[in-house]
Amino acid sequence: MDFYFGLAQIIGVHTLIGLSAYIVLLTGQVSLAQAGFFAVGAYAAGMLTVLAGWAILPALAASALLGAAVACAVGFPALRVKGLMLVIATLAFGEGVRLFFFNFDYQVAKGGVKLGPLGGEGFRQIRYFPENGWTTMDVMLFIWAFVVLTMALLWWFDRSRYGAVLRAVGEDELAAQSVGLNLTAVKVSAMTVGGAIAGLGGGIYAHYTTHIEHASFGILLATFAIAYPILGGLGSVFGTLLAAVFVQGFLVEGLRFLGDWRNLLFGALIVVAMNVRPRGFLDAPTLLWLKRLFARTGGGSGAA
Amino acid sequence: MLADLVQNTLDGLAAGASYALLAVGFTLVFGVLRRVNLSYGPAIMLGCYAATFVHLHYGAGLLALAAICVLASVAAGAYVERLCFAPHGKGSAIAAMVASFALWMQLEEVAMLALPRHLYPFPPLYEGGPLAFAGFTVRVEALVMLAAAVTVCALLWGILYRTRFGVAARAMIDSPVAAELAGINVPRISMGVFALASAIGGLAGFLISASVEQVTPMLGMWSTLKGLLAMMLGGLGSLPGAVIGALVLGLVEAHSQWFLGPQLRDFIAFLLLFILLAVGPRWIRSRHG
Repeated sequence: MDFYFGLAQIIGVHTLIGLSAYIVLLTGQVSLAQAGFFAVGAYAAGMLTVLAGWAILPALAASALLGAAVACAVGFPALRVKGLMLVIATLAFGEGVRLFFFNFDYQVAKGGVKLGPLGGEGFRQIRYFPENGWTTMDVMLFIWAFVVLTMALLWWFDRSRYGAVLRAVGEDELAAQSVGLNLTAVKVSAMTVGGAIAGLGGGIYAHYTTHIEHASFGILLATFAIAYPILGGLGSVFGTLLAAVFVQGFLVEGLRFLGDWRNLLFGALIVVAMNVRPRGFLDAPTLLWLKRLFARTGGGSGAA
Repeated sequence: MLADLVQNTLDGLAAGASYALLAVGFTLVFGVLRRVNLSYGPAIMLGCYAATFVHLHYGAGLLALAAICVLASVAAGAYVERLCFAPHGKGSAIAAMVASFALWMQLEEVAMLALPRHLYPFPPLYEGGPLAFAGFTVRVEALVMLAAAVTVCALLWGILYRTRFGVAARAMIDSPVAAELAGINVPRISMGVFALASAIGGLAGFLISASVEQVTPMLGMWSTLKGLLAMMLGGLGSLPGAVIGALVLGLVEAHSQWFLGPQLRDFIAFLLLFILLAVGPRWIRSRHG
């Protein structure tokens, strides 16, 4: 059973980083910096619990805030460019963050053992969960509580004025600007919210793996982050969840029995999925169809 | 001190020479198709692995290996184009980029299934030592690569400005819609541009592998990132700019390695790119995709 709990942990954290890219994508911007915010959150939360002795919740709150602050600070200069230029600028930022942690040493002796980030060796022994006797199931439930919370928040955003503003900017910047929206403010705010979610996800990731190193936060993770919402479709937060389950649950774990051949199929299946459903799994017609389906089974109450 | 500075500058230019060809191939695809092909490096890596495979199992001369590198890179590039770029038309540059990233993993996996060890030897381009003059040294390989980059640029200029294919490609840069209306076979020209860029990449991969005399699985990501960095530093979509950007990248890396240490070398390069993009001069920001 622990295997499935572990898998659910991975899917949960990947859903979080996918959601952090989702809200930025709503404004039509593609950011490869999410892995950078994720790394900042991971190192910050790990250092707070291990070196400063904080409890997990304040440490996660701090990592989310730090992620938001970094995203906001990066957003102002970076969002002056758009399209593929933004992709590259954010990629440069993300790789910069990774290389920063590659060179980052901050070790403190604790009970005869030196703890803390050590450059290329990474940051070992982030043992808050095992030290406090959390079981795999506890950790899994803890992670999914945050996933559900974040999804609920974004779902609510989507139904509020703020969501409409984000999508307006994503659909047509010129039109959005002409009705008086401040493009920079909208984009930077989306980036900030995304940074907070990524920072939170990173903080959680650091604690369930107990060992983080710079190589985990490279261009691979950054591309996964934007692949989930694009693969899942931007119509709904559930698309990102669905894509994370599809990629991590089916493509990575489900096909593990294929051994070396899995990665061959992995790439091909993502490409096939993109070509068959260029607007994602949950595109507008599918969402409409689902809505009707639920409305019918729900006795016409239209609860969905 | 001054001698070190001069030697570092020479080393930087030599490293830049190896980035130059990579950047030219990258720029060709970006300039004409407005697409970022993340699989560019892995396709080159596949080409180099194919050549290494032949070299290990059958043995072949340098020229034959170069041909295998180029052909296998073109084949891999065509595969990427068919799957990632042909199906995604206007307005889905990002979907194409994500798809090309998915194929990245696939191409690397193919290469590593064929040659699973971490490091393989590659026959050297030139057996003799470096050239020395006035106490400074320059590797012959670097000169060959720089010459190759300049030659390829000149050839590309000829193709782009003196052939019907080139006219069609340049028409697509100005407006793909108008080009299509004017009767240009846009998918075919795209395919041609892609094949050309892959061939240049394959040549770059061959020269780089032969000058470092080894291939590793890192080659794919390395080629994509260096090509991308050099292209961006040179201002997008300009071929001479790509060569200059590559040399600038080499210089920045060599000097930051000398002053700040090897660990911070790559960090400085990315930092420079971010600053240039975000707050930098107009010429680098204006041509967004």
